[in-house]
Amino acid sequence: MNEFALWLSQTYPSVLIQTHNSWMIPTIQSIHIAGIGIVLVSVFMMDLRILGLAGRDQTLRQTTSRFGPWLMWALVALLVTGALMVIGEPVRELVTFSFWFKMVLVAVGTVIAAIFLRTLKRNDQRWEEAVTERASIKLMAVFTFLVWLAVIVLGRLIAYDHIWGAWSPAQRL
Amino acid sequence: MEISAVLQSIENTSIASSIRDSLYLFPMLESMHVIGLAIVFGTIAIMDLRLLGLASVNRPFHKVAADILKWTWIAFIITFLTGGLMFSTNATAYFHNSVFQAKMALLLLAGFNMGIFELTTGRTLGKWDTSPSPPRAAKRAAVVSLTLWIGIIFLGRWIGFTTSHSQPKEDTAPQINLDDLFPGAADDSKAPAPPETPKN
Repeated sequence: MNEFALWLSQTYPSVLIQTHNSWMIPTIQSIHIAGIGIVLVSVFMMDLRILGLAGRDQTLRQTTSRFGPWLMWALVALLVTGALMVIGEPVRELVTFSFWFKMVLVAVGTVIAAIFLRTLKRNDQRWEEAVTERASIKLMAVFTFLVWLAVIVLGRLIAYDHIWGAWSPAQRL
Repeated sequence: MEISAVLQSIENTSIASSIRDSLYLFPMLESMHVIGLAIVFGTIAIMDLRLLGLASVNRPFHKVAADILKWTWIAFIITFLTGGLMFSTNATAYFHNSVFQAKMALLLLAGFNMGIFELTTGRTLGKWDTSPSPPRAAKRAAVVSLTLWIGIIFLGRWIGFTTSHSQPKEDTAPQINLDDLFPGAADDSKAPAPPETPKN
């Protein structure tokens, strides 16, 4: 991974971002943060609906068709801006424990969201109202929100990877 | 009391120094700040998109607001408190940092914009609550709000790239530099310092 990061840092797109880093990196990071806001709140509103804490005048499906597309498109935007950050600062991103742990949790969060939205689409209204009463689904809603919170914390910790001590690959460089 | 003395006494509080001395506290505060502002921005965006007639158009405005505004305020309080604690660690530098000042100015403007909306268009809510396309003044307030909040995010991120360069090194009081406290912190230390600024 170290070799890959070093190789990537010498490619043209990486050099391009590095030479304009004084404005490019903060700009990409800011767009990334705005995207995080959309992802987190989309998940939050769907979870609140499942928990019965918001949007009770709407069916679950009305809530998911309101926020599901925003969630998925914002995730795409995060993937693009995230990839740009990796290209721009490969060593800073790839040679960290926080980054890879974050990627695992992003995968977990995305898979849960995709399965949830898909299952919901396939079933009728009665099913979705019954399903929101299930304790396991409510628990899942809380778990999903916590996963995304952890993703945010790990994203910030990429800048402070040394706090992981020996777990941080940067310590062994 | 002089403002510099006030700032100095903020930096000297035990809470500020324990944040500076800790390896974990500052990153944790930053993370909570990001979580808070993500919720603030995301929830405000939902309100603004409703005002613009671009989303949630089939729901009355007051229902959208009732679901959302309490979370906006809770998240804003979290963001304000964590931001205040981060400020306390290096109050003098942040206070004199022009990016920080600009961010505070935009926050004030966002507050004014909200206040004006509440006192004018918000008063006539009964007339357009269920309308998929609220009055022009509401749309204007929504555009201003979205623009300001995006600006606030940009400036906030920018502060991280400027704090350590905001004051000359030979400045008076015991200057604490975040970079010295987090020597491995790639982010704000390795990040785009203007080439003419010497790294300490």
